[in-house]
Amino acid sequence: MNRTIFFRFCIGFLSLIAIGCQQDVVYPSQPITLLCPWSAGGGTDRVSRQIAMQLEQSLGVPVNVINATGGSGVTGHTRGAQARPDGYTLAMVTVELNMLHWRGLTSITYEDFEPLQLLNRDSAAIFVLDESPIETLDELEVAIGERPGEIKASGTAAGGIWHVAVAGWLNSRGGDPTAANWISINGAGPSVQELNAGGLDFICCSLPEVDAMLASGAVRCLGVMADQRIEGFEQVPTFKEQGHQWSLAGWRGLAVPIGLPEDRVEVLQSAMRSIGQSDELRDFMMQAGFNLSIEGPEDFRATLASQDEIFEEVLTGPAFQSMQGDSFGPFVFPFIVGLAACGLIVLMWITGESPQENAGRGEGSIRGAILTLSACCFYLLVSESLGFVLAVGLTLVVMLTVHGKVLDGSRFFRFSLPFSFVCSAVLYQLFAVGLRVPLPRGLLGW
Amino acid sequence: MLVDLQQAFELVFLDPMIWLIVIGSAFYGVFLGAMPGLTATMGVALFVPITFWMEPIPALAAIVTMVACAIFAGDIPTTLMRVPGTPASAAYADDAYALARRGESDRALGHSLWFSVCGGVLGAIILMLMGSQLAKLASWFSVAEYFWLYVLGLSCAVVVGKEGVIRSAFGLCVGILFANIGLSAVHGQARFTFGHPELFQGINFIPAMIGLFGLSEVLRGAMQPGDACDDQSGAAGDGRLLGGALMTMKNRLPAWLRSSGIGSLIGVLPGAGADMAAWVCVAVSKRFSRNPEGYGKGSINGIADACAGNSSSLAGAWVPALVFGIPGDSVTAIVIGVLYMKDLKPGPEIFEQQGSTVYSIYLIFLLANFILLPVGWLAIRLGRQVLRVPRAVLLPIVAVFCIVGSFAVNGSRFDIGLMMFFGVVGLVCERVRVSIGALVLGLILGGPLEERFVQTVTGSQGSLLGFVDRPASFLLAIACGVIWCRMVYVATRQKSIG
Repeated sequence: MNRTIFFRFCIGFLSLIAIGCQQDVVYPSQPITLLCPWSAGGGTDRVSRQIAMQLEQSLGVPVNVINATGGSGVTGHTRGAQARPDGYTLAMVTVELNMLHWRGLTSITYEDFEPLQLLNRDSAAIFVLDESPIETLDELEVAIGERPGEIKASGTAAGGIWHVAVAGWLNSRGGDPTAANWISINGAGPSVQELNAGGLDFICCSLPEVDAMLASGAVRCLGVMADQRIEGFEQVPTFKEQGHQWSLAGWRGLAVPIGLPEDRVEVLQSAMRSIGQSDELRDFMMQAGFNLSIEGPEDFRATLASQDEIFEEVLTGPAFQSMQGDSFGPFVFPFIVGLAACGLIVLMWITGESPQENAGRGEGSIRGAILTLSACCFYLLVSESLGFVLAVGLTLVVMLTVHGKVLDGSRFFRFSLPFSFVCSAVLYQLFAVGLRVPLPRGLLGW
Repeated sequence: MLVDLQQAFELVFLDPMIWLIVIGSAFYGVFLGAMPGLTATMGVALFVPITFWMEPIPALAAIVTMVACAIFAGDIPTTLMRVPGTPASAAYADDAYALARRGESDRALGHSLWFSVCGGVLGAIILMLMGSQLAKLASWFSVAEYFWLYVLGLSCAVVVGKEGVIRSAFGLCVGILFANIGLSAVHGQARFTFGHPELFQGINFIPAMIGLFGLSEVLRGAMQPGDACDDQSGAAGDGRLLGGALMTMKNRLPAWLRSSGIGSLIGVLPGAGADMAAWVCVAVSKRFSRNPEGYGKGSINGIADACAGNSSSLAGAWVPALVFGIPGDSVTAIVIGVLYMKDLKPGPEIFEQQGSTVYSIYLIFLLANFILLPVGWLAIRLGRQVLRVPRAVLLPIVAVFCIVGSFAVNGSRFDIGLMMFFGVVGLVCERVRVSIGALVLGLILGGPLEERFVQTVTGSQGSLLGFVDRPASFLLAIACGVIWCRMVYVATRQKSIG
């Protein structure tokens, strides 16, 4: 009896292997992951998903977008640069790639990437509320110069692209780049909200981000930091027209980690070439309000290099360095909270009930917990090489044994073993196939 | 308005396509919500490429329905396995799980379904009638007001915590300290990362929450294998899912109205969403309750109020998105993108110019909530099969779900490690009776709280007066002060009695 079940299980298992085994001779033959360094719903995410969809059509394999967010873009760019260069991880890179390393936040530079294509370029622009007394760029410059520190501005976190845009502009006019009081607000949306609530005097961000308020006349745009007027925003004057020689734009592009074999780069480049010329992408960018700006690999690389120099000048300049040392440092808030926590511990002690007393529910042995945790660690260690199905199956077997305290033959073969692997196979189907979560594939392909 | 409403009515209710899409999305939304680690945001983002080929109303219908259904479905794993499916469920995770362990999971889920539906319906109606007026509320809120709002939200966790004021406040502080790990959003400088690049992104609260609630329960089960062998939770209750909820509803009509109102108000403010609404509603519910001691130990009223609150807040997030183009949460950020795709420009005139579209969105909220009733009922019926599985088998499966769920959020193996770490933290916290719920809320709101704090201080050039120099912020500050004084008073009185 035991034997028949065991054999049936073995046959099922072998057939699973047969299905899962895919020879990796032609590229691409597996799902591709596209890393997006910003959160779902933002501009970069939308562009990433559009590109993913079009790549999927032209390459014939699923392309899944993963939002590797956090750390002002550090996380996403680092993961993109350090991914295995096998062509199954692509990276959406943004202007922060040129900025983060100058701010000392990462060692990743544009040289860690093989650029594929530049996709869009959105110029910075300055906005004020409609009822603001400031009418022109010159008036704003004078106002900032006359009352340093009193004119409040935002658009992104301190040190972000739009902050650099304003500081660089003031610097180029020979003024003090720190004269505008930059409130560090994450993202254009919350900045618009703050402008609306009367907490800011002006904001700096790209045009599409303020489109709704601009069209309704609630805000005015003083100027856009571009050489020519922007398509779709023809009424907005440029900085150049107003005699301010300064331009700056954020951009997005697609890249792969360096070291990818030549033939695979070729495949991706030709796919991106046709996508870049497609009407579909053009329509998407138009409707989303992004300024389509296609550049091939060589031009993109040149752009990266020239941008890097500009940001070096602004970000490593003495003015910007002095700005970093804010009066209200990064450790003040944790310090306050830490003090409060210590105070509460003291209070707990005074009120007589020390945390060690009143130990909750029954004691029990710690062995089970340690074994469970080790099973999780085991999964972490082997999942990359064994693949999801095997790793989870083995982990489950261990945990079932720990929890059930059974290792006698009959239940192990009759229940635990088949159950674990069926469970993990079902989970794999559900998450990796149904929901496109890129679960570790391992050597066998699943 | 009436013409628009009538048009919207025709657009939504007379189109069989919409019905089909809403039913399909309801199942999808319930599935997403019920899977730990999968969020409505993720589901919507996956769905966006499909919207390119859809008309605007069906596309919006699908998104609205997913969101409205996912928030309820988050309660299913919370109740049955103590793994919160959405952050909003963390506010009453202890209540729901305590009820399930007593064999009353049907009652808990029945209430959560019924009150989610009622809250959602009321929220949609409130916004349909007062949306453009409420939008003005958001324009009073500058960073200082948000600071006080977050303080208010955090205070709610202390009010709710069954561990008492001191221990809940301590949990809160620990949560906020954990939230401070990583690259500081305001300063752009790394803190407490000890040179590990993975820690730059900070502690992702979804894996943390899964670990704190879910894995810690598994670990506790593993420590008591004898207990785990018993199939004790077994019987799933009397099978009357909604009967009890209707009775509660009859007795608690004012509480329902109150919670839905609070939820809608909080939802309208960008940056404060369903999780905050749930916490505030539980706290208010406890404050007005005749039996405040029961909260956190299986209080059905707390669940009812919180569900009404978080469900009604969802529609609110669409108001700032439609009126100012400012996303209220991550889902509406995606929605704004979809709106642009469909040549629907958000803006203050949208109620006049695109009136029928706006009203259709709220009608879809109504429709989605009606559909949720049968779909949710089915989901509960299916979900309770989980209780038939012996705990010795269930707990390992929960552990695997914790692993997969925390990986799915960001596709990062580091998050699995994080989840394990927080599983141990959760175990320790329970031993020393520190509130896990407060810790989670601290983790969620710690980052924004610090941001608002620093922004307010830089705005006022270092002066603390910046926190109270606007009328709205002054009022909020006083409200916070009153709550804290009361809490201290209650704590000292309890001590003197004890």
